[in-house]
Amino acid sequence: MDNIFTATFFVSIFASTIRLATPILLTALGEIYTQRSGILNLGLEGTMTMSAMAGFVCAYFSKSLFIGFLGGIVIGMICSAFMAFLSVTIRANQVIAGTALTILGIGFSSFIYRIIFGIQKLPPQVESLTKFDVPLLSRIPYIGTIFFQHNLIVYLAYILAIINWVVLEKTTFGLNVKAVGEHPRAADSKGISVTKIRYTAVIIGGAFAGLSGAFMSIAYMNSFSDTMIAGRGFIAVAVVVFARWNPLRAMAGSLLFGIASALQIRFQAIGVPIPNQFLLMLPYLVTIIALITVSKKAEFPSAYTKPYSRMER
Amino acid sequence: MKKIVKVLFVLLVLSLLVATTVSAADEKLKVALILPGQADDMSFNQAMYDAMMQVADEYADKIEVTVVEKVYEVADIEPALMDFASQNYDIIFGHGFQFQEPLIAVAEMFPETAFCLGTGYLTLPNTAVYDVELDTGGYLMGVLAALMSETGKIGVVGGADVSEIFRGHEGYKYGAKSVNPDIVIEEVYTGDWNDSAGAKEAAISMYDDGVDIIWHSGDGIGLGVLEAAKEKGKFALGNVADQHSLAPDNVLSGVVYQWAPIIKNIIDDVISGAFFKTDPLFYWINIPNDGLTYASYYELSDKVPAEVQAQVEQTFKDLKDKKIVMPDFEAAK
Repeated sequence: MDNIFTATFFVSIFASTIRLATPILLTALGEIYTQRSGILNLGLEGTMTMSAMAGFVCAYFSKSLFIGFLGGIVIGMICSAFMAFLSVTIRANQVIAGTALTILGIGFSSFIYRIIFGIQKLPPQVESLTKFDVPLLSRIPYIGTIFFQHNLIVYLAYILAIINWVVLEKTTFGLNVKAVGEHPRAADSKGISVTKIRYTAVIIGGAFAGLSGAFMSIAYMNSFSDTMIAGRGFIAVAVVVFARWNPLRAMAGSLLFGIASALQIRFQAIGVPIPNQFLLMLPYLVTIIALITVSKKAEFPSAYTKPYSRMER
Repeated sequence: MKKIVKVLFVLLVLSLLVATTVSAADEKLKVALILPGQADDMSFNQAMYDAMMQVADEYADKIEVTVVEKVYEVADIEPALMDFASQNYDIIFGHGFQFQEPLIAVAEMFPETAFCLGTGYLTLPNTAVYDVELDTGGYLMGVLAALMSETGKIGVVGGADVSEIFRGHEGYKYGAKSVNPDIVIEEVYTGDWNDSAGAKEAAISMYDDGVDIIWHSGDGIGLGVLEAAKEKGKFALGNVADQHSLAPDNVLSGVVYQWAPIIKNIIDDVISGAFFKTDPLFYWINIPNDGLTYASYYELSDKVPAEVQAQVEQTFKDLKDKKIVMPDFEAAK
């Protein structure tokens, strides 16, 4: 216990934080578009599970991780297109539609997986994405191990956070998305198609969740199980609110959750005298506390979860 | 015309009913297995499922087996048990500790039916408990890990500190300390049986901290530990099945156990009637009855010094001859 705060302790915690934050960040980045346009997609957990399955199946049969990721993204887009159909076209209650999609996604993915692989004695596996050490940078002591010895998707997630910020804040498309989420009627009167923008925003969200799901099954792990997403989709939704719909703050939010998870693992491992059940709660407690502290400042998009119709006033 | 169609339809349904009752009316025992998880979880559920299928094959003339998966919530368990019992099933397996209370309640209502509980302590004349002495398996792994560790740090990852998993972990620590009292043991419970990514992270963080060998106590999370071992090029120890082929360069050995022999015992005892005459009735998988062994080192054999191999073998023999007595971990909890 006397030597817990050593250099290896911190290096291991921070490297772990970055990996744990990645799937949450990716999903949250997509959900920011979705929510900014006024749609709350609670079906992300199911979408991610479907994409984890699809990514694994594609990678398994094509022997190509690239095709695996592509498959994951496409299935993510299809799942979320269904969500968009329910919430934009049918104008269903988004909380109910999203929850139903989560349940459907988890059940359907394990159903398909069972049909394809049956019950095998040892799990089907793929060669997962190997880590890519950034030349030179990865050799810096400590810093290199923490930041520059991950697989490519990890780097991509953090780069995408910056790109998404630019798209949302500096482009017409970003402005359109926000306009539709804030005041769909005004946007409509200016010739912006609310339906088109919302469909696009939800499907972009699905593509990100799809990449994240495939990341779980073929980059982080090398096999699929229907519970492997383990609540990360819901945490991503919490991170979006915590981040107040800003991709850069989403990065901070994901890292906060990541470090709480990493700390609880390490605390357990070194035998801190706290029952493991309480330590396991830590990341979720941090999430709740973070949400409470920022929720006062959170200004939800005005048309949040409200379906739009030209006919109504 | 419509009437004729209706009559024909009713006749058809009736004939189907008769057909099914006739085929079910032969002398085979009807066995139901209720699993709390998926039959392909690579661990607790799958080990039981595979064993049950094996027994169903071998005893094809004696039993017919029905399996349901993912009956996890306690609220779903009682209806599932009632369902099978009222359909005149002869033996019903509830595979998990959470089946204990509902199983005892339903067993009271159906005294003619044999109920089997996978890990637990409550019994009735028509129920039995089957369980695995994972503490001895853990002990053996602890001895092996402690002898193999160069850094003096070893690890163990499990789902939750309940039942046989808890006993296994405590046995592991006890065994490791028996060969090296100063060994540092890092232990993580992931709180989830299938969060393989979480388990992988836990294992990586242990390896990063200088741990050089980790045992996992099974389920989907075990796959995460093996994946971490592969990535970090370190050793891991398996559980339940021989997991050598999952990571041939990293899986040094592991606990291997089989449910099939005790399932056969149970069925034989139900047929002979002994099942209902003994109470309390426990069926244990353990080293003395050859239910529990350890996996071969395969090509890693030359990485394990001869004296280590000899000491592990001796420990196994001592456990078999019951020369090693372990404390009652659950009582001390």
